[in-house]
Amino acid sequence: MEYLLLQAMNGLVVGMIYALAAAGLTVIFSILKIVNFAHGELYMMGAYTAYYAIRLLHLPPALAVLVAMAAMFGLGVLYERLFLTPLYTGAVERKDEYALIVTFGLALLLQNLAIVAFGPFSRRPPSFLPGAWHWGLLTLTYDRLIAVAMAAGFLLALVAFLRYTAWGHALDAVSQSRESAAIVGINPHRLYTLAFGVGAALAGAAGALIAPIFSISPTMGVLPAVKSFIIVVLGGMGSVAGSILGGLLIGVGEGLGVGLFPDPGRALAYSNAFGVLILAMTLLIRPTGLLGREHVRME
Amino acid sequence: MKKSPFVMLAILLSVAMARVVLAAEPIRIGWVGPLSAPGAYAGGQEMKWAAELAADEINRAGGVLGRPLELVYEDTRGMPEQGTAAMERLITGKKVVAVFGEFHSSVGLAEIEVAHKYGIPFIASEVWADDITARQYPEVFRVAPANSMIYDIVAAWVVAAGFKNVAIMQETTDWGVGAVKVLTQKFDQHGVKYSVTTVELTQQDFTAQILRFMNQKPRPDLFMNMLAGEGSYRITRQSCELGFTPTPQTALYSGGSPSLYPEFWENVGECGVYLMAELVGLPKALWNDKTRAFIEAFKQRFNRTPSAVGMEAYDSLYLLVEAIRKTGTTDPKALIQALETLRWTGTRGEYWFSTQREPAWAYHQFLDAPVVVIQYDRVNQGTDEARILWPRRWATTEALYLKVKK
Repeated sequence: MEYLLLQAMNGLVVGMIYALAAAGLTVIFSILKIVNFAHGELYMMGAYTAYYAIRLLHLPPALAVLVAMAAMFGLGVLYERLFLTPLYTGAVERKDEYALIVTFGLALLLQNLAIVAFGPFSRRPPSFLPGAWHWGLLTLTYDRLIAVAMAAGFLLALVAFLRYTAWGHALDAVSQSRESAAIVGINPHRLYTLAFGVGAALAGAAGALIAPIFSISPTMGVLPAVKSFIIVVLGGMGSVAGSILGGLLIGVGEGLGVGLFPDPGRALAYSNAFGVLILAMTLLIRPTGLLGREHVRME
Repeated sequence: MKKSPFVMLAILLSVAMARVVLAAEPIRIGWVGPLSAPGAYAGGQEMKWAAELAADEINRAGGVLGRPLELVYEDTRGMPEQGTAAMERLITGKKVVAVFGEFHSSVGLAEIEVAHKYGIPFIASEVWADDITARQYPEVFRVAPANSMIYDIVAAWVVAAGFKNVAIMQETTDWGVGAVKVLTQKFDQHGVKYSVTTVELTQQDFTAQILRFMNQKPRPDLFMNMLAGEGSYRITRQSCELGFTPTPQTALYSGGSPSLYPEFWENVGECGVYLMAELVGLPKALWNDKTRAFIEAFKQRFNRTPSAVGMEAYDSLYLLVEAIRKTGTTDPKALIQALETLRWTGTRGEYWFSTQREPAWAYHQFLDAPVVVIQYDRVNQGTDEARILWPRRWATTEALYLKVKK
């Protein structure tokens, strides 16, 4: 029993990081109605930003996470202004295809730039706090505990921002109808920029938090990006709360799946499949995902 | 000062000769290996740097047969289909006379098919699957040791060291599966119990499986981490953080080359102390002038200590050049014949390629490829300073392995 509890706890920690990355993807999707294929690379860039903030500026690791968020927010804003504005100025006819190509292009560009700029070798920033917390058989490193606490803090802040601030209400309005929002005086273009920046910052935060746990490399974002897509669909496309719930469910599901799988020799190889299985079962029962609402395409 | 006419003539002749060499048609040799994802591009990059170093040295010394050497690089991304396409481009497009390199066995297996189809010599630098040479293609030679060579030695050490119950985590690649097959066959012969877990290369969190191993009854006394990519670092650290290895109850072994790279220590820190691994380079006591010169030149140019991976690529190119020099031609058949009889001393000892056909993998294999089991006993230790545990003729410590005290 303790063993399964340990697996569940561990899954919860990893799930919280997934949830943070997926929440960023959800914010972008719900407002801009595009799937950001470069999300994994923003996660990777966040990790490298934190790494160099610690190594070169000698910042404490927790502060470096905030620097990574700020840098990714800036990168997101810049990218949205430079490449995504044609989506809503009528400059392109096939918006979905344009969004796919331009975000996929950013993913390839960032990944290859990272190999050239940061080198192909794995790096690891120092721990938030070395050591581990033990309780019976239960062992969790302080890195994981701090990462999960900070991730939970960022997610709470995101929910509060969306629910209690004027900017959050404006984002919600634009997510429902850009034209209606514009009629009441909201500038949707500004909110697209804000949403992409916030989404990129959340991806960067997730990468920076996971860096001391998993190490960093130019391709570290590939798997988390896939997980984020699964979580976004599982939670319900466009639902931030659904992303959080989906992330936790995937994390715990994978942990318990490995722990309970009858063939121990193959259990870990199937760990990603457990997440997909949870997704498939959920969609059979609730086609819109856990907390999803019917979404609309870019107007 | 007045120069004699003879000196002037000599200078003019030298300049003219150099212009002839530079103007001559270059001899093109192809290099293949992973330089981007999803391949293990860290290993590929070190191989490429080493090849660049060798090519520059050769060209500075006047090239080959009075012609400059031109290396043509192809990124195979760790994907067999990319390996096939790269070989086609090199042979039919760039008209290379020979190819060397590669880091992934599965890609190497695809590449040798193309080399065989066109009859172009291919030196496999850092691919370990037995099948590379076991297919017995006349064009294919290997400077790296075969899985059977390495893991026969490693298994003999496991048995001699008295391990009784081994937990193995293997990657699902030709190298990983092949290596574990050799190990487990030997374990079966000697009554060593084992459990094998398969993992994908993309796996990031190994905690769940490590916990399973920790809860095994009886608890394993050796954990063999058989991942050649960066996942190896995560396993080492996660296993250490959970208190599984290295501990007095369970020792830790890492297969492949990741624990031999300088960044190993940045990634695992103190968790790397007491880790054991195989090294396919010469022990320091057997280093020759070429080993020392290569390490120095590599460090100076790339600000990094090279591993055996770099040495294999460096020596592969020199072997091809020696074969061209020996035959005085770039004819592929002549080069293959020359490689079969060549003896040349490089950074990893004196090279020669076997022509014996039993066991199958021994064909065109460098049978004296060095393999030693090493163990780190302090943080930031280089592979040349680590303790040598096995084979005993090169051992630098009396113990078969250093146990963790507490």
